[in-house]
Amino acid sequence: MPTVRKNTRPYIFLLLPLLSALCAGLFAQTADTSASAAPSGVRCMHVLGLEGVKRNLHGTLTAGPSGLDFKAGGAHGTVAIASIQDVFTAQDSHQVGGKVLTVAKMGVPYGGGRVVSLFSHEKLDSLTVEYRDANGGLHGVVFTMPLGQATVLKKQLVDSGAHASIPVASPSEKPDAGGTKQ
Amino acid sequence: MKLSGNFPVRLARRAWPAVLLCALCVALAPRGFAAEKPETTSAWAIQVEPVQADEGQLPPEFSMAIYEDLIAQLVKTDKFQQVFRSGDHEADGVPNLLVLHMTLQNFERGNQTTRAVTTVAGATKVQVHLKVATRDGNAVLEKDVQGTVRIFGENLKATFALASAIAAKLRDAPLPAPTKGAGQ
Repeated sequence: MPTVRKNTRPYIFLLLPLLSALCAGLFAQTADTSASAAPSGVRCMHVLGLEGVKRNLHGTLTAGPSGLDFKAGGAHGTVAIASIQDVFTAQDSHQVGGKVLTVAKMGVPYGGGRVVSLFSHEKLDSLTVEYRDANGGLHGVVFTMPLGQATVLKKQLVDSGAHASIPVASPSEKPDAGGTKQ
Repeated sequence: MKLSGNFPVRLARRAWPAVLLCALCVALAPRGFAAEKPETTSAWAIQVEPVQADEGQLPPEFSMAIYEDLIAQLVKTDKFQQVFRSGDHEADGVPNLLVLHMTLQNFERGNQTTRAVTTVAGATKVQVHLKVATRDGNAVLEKDVQGTVRIFGENLKATFALASAIAAKLRDAPLPAPTKGAGQ
């Protein structure tokens, strides 16, 4: 019996990195599976632009007939549908885990942190909304959200009457290509 | 050398004037520096226009992030009387108004994962040509400014770096005194 255990131990050690890599890969791809989730009330991050709302705040974004509505704890920001000048969607990828994982990766010896970085990324959608305030001043709001959600929100906004220079799901609006900004 | 038993007491008695002097220096130093600090707020107000770029050259999220970051940074510098957004009607009646135009010169979209893995590759760079002019078109300041994210941070961090660099250039730039009717 002890000889059998001794022989299988190397294989277990060989399997461990493979398993961890597989788990990390699956974790990084979870955003894709949630793309077909509820069309309204999307969990997202407010990157910048909303008046009175802190940057990089996680909350819930809803697109309705009145416009965009972002709620996060006590913070609340809205954009009226009539004031929206343009809506853009795009895709990007980023490293998951935030500053904590970044510091942890720096502490891994022999460059192991770089290997972790290979598997700790996920793709994101970004939704950019340009609008004008009561004085006519131009504002821009940027949200990031799970993959596939930005197009759904853009479609809801356009259906509610928001102006978009690039139609929804247009072939010209490819990921990472961006739209027109003049 | 043998120290007597009441040495700490004697040391404390002799040292208290020095301690008091240090405390006074610390308390008065900020006021002294503040008095020497030159007045930074100029007589100008400024209106920020979004980045001008050719079709598809700059993604809209980057354009809006530069615009919003720049407005926030300019407000923070305290250099201008007021900071107006593009199209703000309130700016129409403001005398001594400068208009900030940005034209995209170069945009390279990097990748955060590439940066994290290689350290040397995958940088995101945004370079704009900055022009600050009066309403009648007289250029007050023209510079090329670049924002880069090289190792840590998401791609959009380059816009923050660019906005900070532009705000720093404007803060340090000697602006001319507004003449009568300038910027009208």
